Amino acid sequence: MSIQLSLQGIGKKRHGESPAYLFREITAEVRSGQRIVLLGTSGQGKTTLLRILSRLEKPDEGTLSLNGRPFLEWKPQEWRRRVCYVAQQPVMLTGTVEANLRAVSELHGAAFDKRLAEECMAALGLESLDWSKQAADLSGGEKQRTALVRALLLQSEVLLLDEVTASLDPASKRAAERLLSDWAQKRGTALIWITHDLDQAAQVSDFIWFMDEGRLLETAPAEEFFREPSTRQARSFIRRTDSEGSLL
Amino acid sequence: MSNISLMSTAVFVAVTILLSMKQKLGLEKEIIIGTIRSAVQLLFVGYVLHFVFDAENPLFIVLIIAVMILVASWNVSSRARDIPGIRLRIALALCCTEAVTMALLLTLGIVEATPQFIVPISGITIGSSMIVAGLFLNSMKREMEAARGEIEALLALGATSKQAIQNSIKRSIRSGMIPTLDGMKTTGLVQLPGMMTGMIAAGADPIEAVRYQILIMFVLSSAAALTAMLLGLLSAPLWFTKDGRLRSTGE
Repeated sequence: MSIQLSLQGIGKKRHGESPAYLFREITAEVRSGQRIVLLGTSGQGKTTLLRILSRLEKPDEGTLSLNGRPFLEWKPQEWRRRVCYVAQQPVMLTGTVEANLRAVSELHGAAFDKRLAEECMAALGLESLDWSKQAADLSGGEKQRTALVRALLLQSEVLLLDEVTASLDPASKRAAERLLSDWAQKRGTALIWITHDLDQAAQVSDFIWFMDEGRLLETAPAEEFFREPSTRQARSFIRRTDSEGSLL
Repeated sequence: MSNISLMSTAVFVAVTILLSMKQKLGLEKEIIIGTIRSAVQLLFVGYVLHFVFDAENPLFIVLIIAVMILVASWNVSSRARDIPGIRLRIALALCCTEAVTMALLLTLGIVEATPQFIVPISGITIGSSMIVAGLFLNSMKREMEAARGEIEALLALGATSKQAIQNSIKRSIRSGMIPTLDGMKTTGLVQLPGMMTGMIAAGADPIEAVRYQILIMFVLSSAAALTAMLLGLLSAPLWFTKDGRLRSTGE
């Protein structure tokens, strides 16, 4: 598997708060088709890190590169076509469900792959959703799944998934996990997935990034991480999470 | 209007001050400053116009219009101080609006190429465009908060900054133009416009005054459209950082 995305010494400062850094010295590599789950307690800056990777935010330190090219050599829109961020709070664009699904093809002047859109919607249990319905009128779960399909249609090389199943029922959650894992396997798309659900993390990942104390403390194969975390912080995190059932 | 009549208008100021005192609004100082400033500024402009009309030198007209655009740009840009380069864009939008409006008015022979026509019409055009620009900027600032999610969702899908901000710009152009268009619909029914009232009071034939007012209303509608659209076009990149991120407050 070739290296797609590389992070070298990424740091982000807080604004006038103490400690001065939200996180720093984040160095890691993302390979094509890799399914990474980013774990850590709330407030570690996991969302900020994903937003930096999608260039919606700027790192205060360090550099990124995609396919060997430093991020400053990429036009932001070209970068984001390849590294797509899917937010936890789904935002529907003005108009119908179909307008949302067609958004990517219209933005990039490409033909709309209706069949792929239908397949993805069906895989997420939305096969009977009326595409002429106003997207703003969808339920929270429908919006989250529609936003996910909209992002998939971009067919990016890296997908940054920020708790994208947070407002889904268990069946829809499993469906999303299956779709995303199949997608990564078939298309070689790398996934970096934030979740607070350890069962889900174990299910969908083959690699874990664990953040704590403003650092990326562990980057390990998932099986190894869950069997024997190498840091005290990760052990305590897993113990705590297991006892609570899920994280806050 | 005689000097005595002019001085008698101070009675309206006295009424305002008395009401403010009675209601304990604490606006007396503001009212006095406003009264003195408006009187001095208008008298000063009156003498300047008197001089310019007599001098018949086109350079003076250009100078007056340049000052109007400068002051208007300065005033509007205070609404978006944290957006670098906005003042220049406002000035450019106002310049273009003024140039296009005047070029059409003069080349089509709608008004005479004399300072008596050019200066007041320019003042009305730039003044109205200034309000349109201010409304546009207010709306854009609201959009930067309210539509942030939408803009970032589009950016995340690989949209260019222009594509991502297009809807916000459109909504803000509408916000800027609607008061002018509403004014057109109700003019004459709800209020008699200031210029027309002034002409009638000065003894002009009401029909002649109305004809000029129609001209002004139509000029203002096109000026509103031009200003809002030009400012939308020129300011679009300013809402983003150089590396293509949506600017956040204070950035």
